[in-house]
Amino acid sequence: MIEIVATPSPAMIQDLGRVGYQKFGVPVSGVMDEVSARLANYLVGNPDNYPVIEFTVGGLILKFHSSSVFAVTGEAEVILNDYPLEPWKSYWAKRGDVLKVRLRKGMYGYIAFAGGIECPRILGSCSTYMRAKFGRPLKPGDRLSLGYAILTGKAGKSIPREFIPNLWGDKTVRVVLGPNIEHFTAQGIRTFLSSEYEVTPESDRMGYRLEGPKIEHSERGAGIVTEPIPLGAVQVPANGKPIIMLADRQTTGGYSKIATIIRADIPKVAQTRPGEKLKFRPISIQKAIEDLRRREITMKALRKALNDEWFLYRIKVVGKEFLAFSGGCRP
Amino acid sequence: MLTIRLLGNSGVLISFGEVIDEEINKRIHAIAQAIEKDKPGWLIEVVPAYSSLAIYYDPTLITHKEVISYVSGLKFNVEDVKGRKIEIPVAYGGEFGPDIEFVAEHNGLTVDDVIEIHSKPLYRVYFLGFLPGFAYLGGMDERIATPRLEKPRTKVPAGSVGIAGKQTGWYAIESPGGWRIIGRTPLRTFNPERVPPSIVLPGDYVKFVPIDEKEFWEIYREEWGND
Repeated sequence: MIEIVATPSPAMIQDLGRVGYQKFGVPVSGVMDEVSARLANYLVGNPDNYPVIEFTVGGLILKFHSSSVFAVTGEAEVILNDYPLEPWKSYWAKRGDVLKVRLRKGMYGYIAFAGGIECPRILGSCSTYMRAKFGRPLKPGDRLSLGYAILTGKAGKSIPREFIPNLWGDKTVRVVLGPNIEHFTAQGIRTFLSSEYEVTPESDRMGYRLEGPKIEHSERGAGIVTEPIPLGAVQVPANGKPIIMLADRQTTGGYSKIATIIRADIPKVAQTRPGEKLKFRPISIQKAIEDLRRREITMKALRKALNDEWFLYRIKVVGKEFLAFSGGCRP
Repeated sequence: MLTIRLLGNSGVLISFGEVIDEEINKRIHAIAQAIEKDKPGWLIEVVPAYSSLAIYYDPTLITHKEVISYVSGLKFNVEDVKGRKIEIPVAYGGEFGPDIEFVAEHNGLTVDDVIEIHSKPLYRVYFLGFLPGFAYLGGMDERIATPRLEKPRTKVPAGSVGIAGKQTGWYAIESPGGWRIIGRTPLRTFNPERVPPSIVLPGDYVKFVPIDEKEFWEIYREEWGND
């Protein structure tokens, strides 16, 4: 069991979301940065979809009431009993230990525990969705039971530095244009693709509101007949300022959408702080699919390597170092 | 005319144009039902709206081209979309409908007229969207159309039935909102512990049935317990 000691900024339980209920008007929710959250789970030997704690800039303090293996991901400062540890690594904590985390960069960090966190499932998911009171943010005094981990000896794993996602540097994100492209003028589309847009403080898990050059609508205007809203949709209301629709987005909406951010770049968007700027670059759908497939192959290899199913080698080929994975027996 | 558009690299949008039309909406639900019945392995979920349908898929298993050709080859039957008639009891006015007098005055009617006009039609559920259990209903009589509140309320209780422009419907969960509230249903119209979680489904027909305060609390206790 763990106990929440302090929540300097909002923190909540999330998994990969409430999938399959959008047709009832239920938002998907789930972690904002899928890559960092999944890697946190891999580090402690959990499957992808186990619930994790999602924390924000100011961080979180918690106390272990039983020993457990945990990992923190995100550009986080990790302190166990005043002793600095590293993110992207798994550690063992014993009863009475106090863990303090906060972010150096980005918006979201994740803590995973071996065996996951026990929490009531609503429509198949532990994800907190505040508007419908599906769960609530964590508060001091909350006690969370941890799930049963088959192997408790998973501490000491780490994500090789080459595989720590770079979500904090370059902020160019790739988009597939549409679906409501005819609601914009050619000039409006050029403005969108050639300008920088700043994330404003009015941003939250539902959407990031951007400030920047006004995007011009065509004579069809900003409104459409209400239609479904995908993750990463870039909505442009009548004021011409884009809004990126994220995890807690409504399932349908009536504003025209100029583009959709490809799934592989959603974590990069999520990790952008208010005041930081995003740039949009169009990408072909073929390239977008290839890219996501490549990412998923790497994620799978990492999961297997961290679970000791596959092995990770560092090899040198003509003086250059490479990492290689292999299944099968230990050499 | 049917068009297929890309929703990034994990979804496609099937659209019959920007129209609100019962026959087109039936076609959308027929396609959605056919896909859900078929349950292809790459499918994540389908989301129907008025005249469009999103198909979200796993792009590591299938490409958008394959999804599009799957949809083109799909057999569906509009006759399969059969709506039920659902009666929604509503206590109009008083503490349940603080804006009913405004709606009446705005349209030059009496409160009783508003109740009669509002509870007469059989409303069609076009789809559920926006918020959990929120039903987009078609068919409100324009004689009771009323603009939204200038300043939305911060808290509207679950079950509140309201009017916004030419639309009517109820708040399935407690939320902030700017609709003119004319009544409230004691039914728990959205309950995540039930399968399906929503009392109405797309294609259903809704009839509002006026009830009095006593009946409201009787049904309310049955639905929500004593809390």
